[in-house]
Amino acid sequence: MRKAAISFGLALALGVLQNYGFGQTPAQNSDTAASAVSGNPPNTPPDKPAQDQVRKWHVKLGPVLVGAGYSRFSGPFYYPYGFSQIDGFYRAWFWDPYWDYAVPYPSGYFAYNDGRGEVKISLDPRSVDPKLAEVYVDNAFAGTADHLKNIWLEPGVYELSVLSKNRTAYRRRIYVLSGRSLKIPATLDSVNPEKATESKR
Amino acid sequence: MMKRKWLVAGLAWVAVIAFAASKGTVARSTALKYPAHAELDGVAMGAVLLTSQEARSNFISDLNHCCLVVEVAMYPQQGQPVEVSLNDFSLRTIGTDHAVKAGSATLISGTLQKKAAASRDVVVSPSVGVGYESGAVYDPITGQPRRGGGVYTQTGVGIGIGSPGGQGGGTDADRKVMETELDEKGLPEGAVATPVAGYLYFPLAKRAKNARYELEYGLNGSKVVLRLAE
Repeated sequence: MRKAAISFGLALALGVLQNYGFGQTPAQNSDTAASAVSGNPPNTPPDKPAQDQVRKWHVKLGPVLVGAGYSRFSGPFYYPYGFSQIDGFYRAWFWDPYWDYAVPYPSGYFAYNDGRGEVKISLDPRSVDPKLAEVYVDNAFAGTADHLKNIWLEPGVYELSVLSKNRTAYRRRIYVLSGRSLKIPATLDSVNPEKATESKR
Repeated sequence: MMKRKWLVAGLAWVAVIAFAASKGTVARSTALKYPAHAELDGVAMGAVLLTSQEARSNFISDLNHCCLVVEVAMYPQQGQPVEVSLNDFSLRTIGTDHAVKAGSATLISGTLQKKAAASRDVVVSPSVGVGYESGAVYDPITGQPRRGGGVYTQTGVGIGIGSPGGQGGGTDADRKVMETELDEKGLPEGAVATPVAGYLYFPLAKRAKNARYELEYGLNGSKVVLRLAE
């Protein structure tokens, strides 16, 4: 009886946790980091008391998942109720909505989005050290390439530049759409040092 | 006074030419470099139909969902500017009477936004598992606990359906970006005196299998037909 009570309690706790994880707004986690890149202030209102600034859970309906599966127990078969390989408690395999494996989420479900588009800059490390490559968005210094492999930007048109000493500058006009990912394979060729070194720093 | 008027008119003409030249793509050295080419009234013209893969890599706007994209280059004779207008171009499916006019950036971006806002993500996630399980179970007949164990295997598939617009590109800000992209990469309109090139977007919902297309261009009452090959 005690075992059953513990089992019920654990199952309830797992179920509640899973529901909260399922409905969490993905943008909440990385909002501050992305704001720093795009230059937007954090979303927290400045005049709220500190105790009200605790992060709240926004439960919303996520993707509808339909699961189907097959489970085979090769050992002695006693009864359609068996032990779970995870927690060792009894459960009805064919009635448990969570089954015994993780619920699959669509790819990118937990990625930061919040109405922004992703820009992925890939530099060939053999041609230039990413730590020395400076990234500019609309002629404003955004950081070095090693820290900016992924940039989240508001939908818009931007002038992207990647500059490094003794290398040809990489310039491209980019179009960013919300929820879309744009890959930028930037190549910075070697140049004669006496010619153009376009570093702005 | 008359001189000033001519100066203003000249500056305006230069501005028009310069603006037209800043749009579009870079024209190849000659029209012969394009798979389809022709000449009419001294104006050489080249065209190529973009494949789905090329349309995907050249644009962030998902043009494969709405259009066929044709890159067109015009080579006017020296000193004889040509008036380029989207209305002069149409795309015809060979063997049918079906032809469409080139769409403007505003029209195409609006269509794309509407489609993106209505689309949903469908994700299929298969899963497999193998493990060993052991423990005591109660026999429902005898009521006696017994130990058992064995290898189990599991297979499953999960299907996730996202909310509408989950793929992105469905907001008003996105529409403006798409419009800017399509406009900036599109064939420059107006009077052109130097070689120009750019894309034309033809709103054909589906690319028919094995279908072949021809581009029609009307100039001074005459018509040029270019058979397109991808």
